[in-house]
Amino acid sequence: MKRRLFTTLLLSLAVTLLLVGCSESSTSSSDNEIKFMHLWPEGSSKHHYEIVNEIIADFEAENEGVKVDLEVLSNEQYKDKLKVLSTSKELPDVGMTWAAGFLEPYVGGNMFASLDDVVDGELADEFIPGTVEAYEIDGTTYGLPLELNIATLYYNTKMFEEAGVEAPETYEELIDVVNAFKEDGIQPIALGNRDAWTGSLWYMYLADRIGGGAAISNAIDRSGSFEDSALVEAAEKVLDLVDKDAFVKGFNGLSDEEAKSMFMNEQAPMYLIATWDLPNFTTNEDVPQEFRDSVEYLKFPTVDGSGDMNSFIGGPGVGLFVAEDSKVKEDAKKFAAFFIKEWGEKSVAQAGVIPATKVDASSLDLPQMYIDILDELTEASNITLFADVQMSPSVAQVHLDAIQALFGNEMTAEEFAKIQEEALSKE
Amino acid sequence: MNKVMSNRLSIAIYVLPALLLVTILVFIPLILSAYYGLMKWDGIGAMEFIGLENYINGIKDEKFWNSAYHSFLLAIFSTLSLAVYLTVSLILASKIKGSDLFRKIYLIPMLLSSVAIAQLWIKVYNPSNGILNAILMNLGVKNPPAWLADPSLVLLAIFIPILWQYAGFYILIYYAALKNIPESLIEAAKIDGATPTQIALKIKLPLIKEVVVVTVVLAIVGSLKYFDLIYVMTGGGPNGASEVMASYMYKLAFSSYDFGYGSAIGFLLLVITLIVTFIIRKITATDEQVEY
Amino acid sequence: MKRFGYFLLYVSLTVVALFQLVPLIWLFLFSLKDNREIFAGSPFALPSELRWQNYLKVWEGGVGTYFFNSVWITSLAIILTVLFASMATFAITRMKWKWSGFVLGLFMVGLMIPIHSALIPLFSMFLKVNLIDNPISIVITYTAYNLPITIMILLGFYYTLPREIEEAAIIDGCSIHRMFFRIILPMTTPVISTTVVINMIYNWNEFVFVNTFISSDKYKTLTVGIQNFIGQYMTDWGAIGATLIISVLPIIIAFIFFSNKVVEGISSSAVKG
Repeated sequence: MKRRLFTTLLLSLAVTLLLVGCSESSTSSSDNEIKFMHLWPEGSSKHHYEIVNEIIADFEAENEGVKVDLEVLSNEQYKDKLKVLSTSKELPDVGMTWAAGFLEPYVGGNMFASLDDVVDGELADEFIPGTVEAYEIDGTTYGLPLELNIATLYYNTKMFEEAGVEAPETYEELIDVVNAFKEDGIQPIALGNRDAWTGSLWYMYLADRIGGGAAISNAIDRSGSFEDSALVEAAEKVLDLVDKDAFVKGFNGLSDEEAKSMFMNEQAPMYLIATWDLPNFTTNEDVPQEFRDSVEYLKFPTVDGSGDMNSFIGGPGVGLFVAEDSKVKEDAKKFAAFFIKEWGEKSVAQAGVIPATKVDASSLDLPQMYIDILDELTEASNITLFADVQMSPSVAQVHLDAIQALFGNEMTAEEFAKIQEEALSKE
Repeated sequence: MNKVMSNRLSIAIYVLPALLLVTILVFIPLILSAYYGLMKWDGIGAMEFIGLENYINGIKDEKFWNSAYHSFLLAIFSTLSLAVYLTVSLILASKIKGSDLFRKIYLIPMLLSSVAIAQLWIKVYNPSNGILNAILMNLGVKNPPAWLADPSLVLLAIFIPILWQYAGFYILIYYAALKNIPESLIEAAKIDGATPTQIALKIKLPLIKEVVVVTVVLAIVGSLKYFDLIYVMTGGGPNGASEVMASYMYKLAFSSYDFGYGSAIGFLLLVITLIVTFIIRKITATDEQVEY
Repeated sequence: MKRFGYFLLYVSLTVVALFQLVPLIWLFLFSLKDNREIFAGSPFALPSELRWQNYLKVWEGGVGTYFFNSVWITSLAIILTVLFASMATFAITRMKWKWSGFVLGLFMVGLMIPIHSALIPLFSMFLKVNLIDNPISIVITYTAYNLPITIMILLGFYYTLPREIEEAAIIDGCSIHRMFFRIILPMTTPVISTTVVINMIYNWNEFVFVNTFISSDKYKTLTVGIQNFIGQYMTDWGAIGATLIISVLPIIIAFIFFSNKVVEGISSSAVKG
């Protein structure tokens, strides 16, 4: 009896002591340990995960005494954890970041190290032009891009044949295709707008075709405006598509994943998505061969006779950062550079990633669609970075909410322009 | 008696472990977050003291009040559904055959993690492939609603799984409370010729009144800070139509990187909950428990 | 007439039970499908082939360690929570002191805090005392955050306990600790089982704290195992279903065990009362 009470007391005492006491410094990493955090768990991204492990093994073999300590999280959890870690200045030595707007707060808080020396030195001429620039703030590079994605409109050739329509090259033809499918009782375009960046892709392409490649970027960097007539017109075209029931039913409540599955189960013949989904349309053995054979892509149509079809929406996805406070900064930079060099060929060959570094495609055995996309990339006249990536996190939130409202017909094109204009001018 | 029950050392031994843990791990973070609410801070760079600006902006923020309204609706629905759960518990506790099995089955949804519950209901509500619309179309409804995408229906659509998930939780508590009533009281009433309904209303209910009050508080507080299913199923959308206070706070702090403002909203959430709970306790307090 | 009433009652109870049982069946089917079947077909359609490899995949993903961590972290937190909560409730409801109302108020405020607003302050506190990536941080956080709700549930029951029992015990010369551990705790077994079940559900399914405070694989719990199958662009839902089934089974078994305890507790307290 007494003993039990004693144990209880002891336990609570121990807990309190643990909390109050032992306030020593918390860095446990030894001198040559690089802490690396990435977002490709083995369960969902086996190929990525394995490539990372191969690269780490190679790096450790080449650099005696340096150890890479790994932590893997899923996408959303990764973002949340990075945020929490940064509030305590406890970022991993090397980690993943996104470009432009995502970088801003971290760079502003002096969390990421400048990588200019690496980019101009060891990695000079490694990157595809335009990729590493997305990680620049005021002329300094803070991230090394790993992927390059561009969005294209994927379509199901078999369903197009059955409906007797051709791949559209203009907006008017797109509307014809939409109407043809609707007559057959098929929902034309798969769109999961719960995530809103999907709808943003549509809006951005329309804006790009109507107002040119720089229209949106100018509005975001304040040399232009969202109230620019081309951008308002793009929003009106969105309303026009919604009005014509071009998108699947209830798209504002669907996740991108649900929309994708409608496309992949041949419930909807068109789907606008970026190249990260290429494996699903080419090499992924879990997807029926018949479906993969019938998927083709087309460049976003011109609108009212204007627009350059070689202008794309896209940009680098994740990139590597090195923490400014890292105790092993030089080793960490070395590792990041090493990673970039090995990543290129391995990622495209084994994981179907389009890397941000130059790869000699002819030396690799790639599916035709990859070769075509890589060609598009070299011929691209312009790649506009995803709007929500360009914007700072708080403006991006406004943009995404506005996209949902616009697609949901709760906002006019003018209101849509105004609300973003207000958010941007407050910055 | 009084001497033993007011021994200071004993009181300290019994209260301090819980009190210390809650103070250190719940209240200190709370005070810190109220303090962050006074800052302009993205969570990363330097903090800048801006006084009450965040709190004032929060009070003027239409989106916040919109989300608070949704949270209140959820609280009202949750409280009302307690009556249903209580009825079911009264039936189950009245010596019905198989009541133990029923009670266990009723708790199953609560055992599943919200990830699973969300996935199930997303599939129920899917506008083209979902079960619900398949049933409606079979019944001859030509153009069934697009539930989670429809701003006027999304709240209702998302409340149902929440209420359904928590049913077993309250039934579990009520059932335990009802089973705690001494058998002798009920036997005595039966001998006096009371009907089962009379026993339920006149004897059982008054005896578990305290427990009912507690569940009302739990339902209201739980609803006002509710987050899980809403975040997974709609993310607060479309365009804020299903946003609640906690999801709005999360968005501000973690998606918009406006950590100072997010903290202020979190604190306002707490203040609102406090006021509501205070009112509830005032309404339900009887003479015997003036102590709180 | 009365018979018909009972029949109707049973029919409605059974219908409700079916509604509550359905998700488990659905989840089991889900765990044997691949992404295509999960999204395209009816949720209750049988999978075209039974993909037991989902379970194999989960097993290879190191679910064993996660499972072990979930069990001990959950159990330890439950023991601490229920013990401390019972003690505090006892002191608040039965002992005479000036601040009892205020302390109860404090615990109630603890109910109202959304965890996301506590996350960042908690992280920096744990960092200062070197408890990041240490499972103790998880155990004490679970305990602290479940104490308020546990105390609230216990409270209603403690108020209904007859005071005569304590009086008799004290007149018999029983010490306060003996009275608490030997009389009060056993008498509250039914409600303790209830709070154990509730704590178990909360701790077992929690993942925000684990994800934030723990980085080593060897300390992660089952809910993190689910995250393992969520990718940057693709998610393996079948494997998630399998993980969910693996994680829900023990809790169902534990629940059945504890509900029988409830019944036992009732009979034992009925004897005493």
